Amino acid sequence: MKELKTNPRAVLAGIRNALGVPALLLFAAMTGFGSFAQEQGLSLYMSMLSTILIWGLPGQVVHVELYGMGAPLIAVVLGVAGANARFMPMTLSMMPVFDDSPHNRRWNYFLAHLISINTWSEMLKTGPEIRADRRMAYFLGFSFTCMTAGIIGVLQGYILFESMPQTVSLCFVFLVPVYFGLIMSNTVHPPFLLAFVLGCVLGPPMHLLTAEWGLVLTGLITGTLAYLLRHKLQVLLNKKEDNG
Amino acid sequence: MVETSAWIFFLSAVLATYVWRFAAVMISHRIEANHPIFEWFTCLAYGIIAALVARTLILPTGLLALLPLWHRLIPMALAFLGFYLLGKRLWVGIVFGETGLIALMLLNELL
Repeated sequence: MKELKTNPRAVLAGIRNALGVPALLLFAAMTGFGSFAQEQGLSLYMSMLSTILIWGLPGQVVHVELYGMGAPLIAVVLGVAGANARFMPMTLSMMPVFDDSPHNRRWNYFLAHLISINTWSEMLKTGPEIRADRRMAYFLGFSFTCMTAGIIGVLQGYILFESMPQTVSLCFVFLVPVYFGLIMSNTVHPPFLLAFVLGCVLGPPMHLLTAEWGLVLTGLITGTLAYLLRHKLQVLLNKKEDNG
Repeated sequence: MVETSAWIFFLSAVLATYVWRFAAVMISHRIEANHPIFEWFTCLAYGIIAALVARTLILPTGLLALLPLWHRLIPMALAFLGFYLLGKRLWVGIVFGETGLIALMLLNELL
């Protein structure tokens, strides 16, 4: 990454890198959400606020789904909490990226709100290549671009819901698992890859077991297993290299 | 009345998400930056996101549920092939996956 001399330049670099596949993804995914919210009778205003204030698609979907079904408040709270619990480990693992940045630590409570799978994987990958004091500006530029694309997506999905051909809607919806599947599997760190593979295998059966906490339980089991096996994985890989 | 309850449900959903982020920042301020536990957190995140991807694909809700399982798995496999065999370019993987999806849908209509 080029030397980012000033904060405005870092913001611009963030915007530039977000414009492209990341913004397109948010636009597509949120188009799907906008259509779904319209179908379930949520107001347009609340649908757009949902993207800004929740900023985590699975939880947003669960909220709309359960609210539409007339589920009790406690079910909505637990359902959303379960669907979006990934933000805890994600935020924890991202905070060290901002450690050498000169900003007041209180800002972290705001930065944490902007974390999504998209912005998180971008910061874990690109963050260390950027000067520590420019990372926050870069992150803000990247995140706000993604969020803006998402809001536009909700708007168009909500308004065009009835006139959009189903094939187009399906392409938008299908983009989400494809994109996340590709960026998450593309890691060079063996324990992360192991956690990903095990999570894919264990995820669906755990969801059948408990729809609310299936994600969290899967993450806890596979993530911990991968973490505990990390030294063994390293030894295994080194051996392979020696043989080859 | 309906309005008020809609807002209560919505704000509860907002808080149920933010509470995770808030707790994480609070905890992170109390741990040293290079502590190995951060690697565990990242492993947890990978596991959860993987489960999410697999669930969306294998046990979908909404539109994707209209398609048969193999109709979702084949395009996904194509996306991975395109991505990993052709230089790990994200847009190549996406084009492969989406093309596969559209092709299968067209084929389904023809048969």
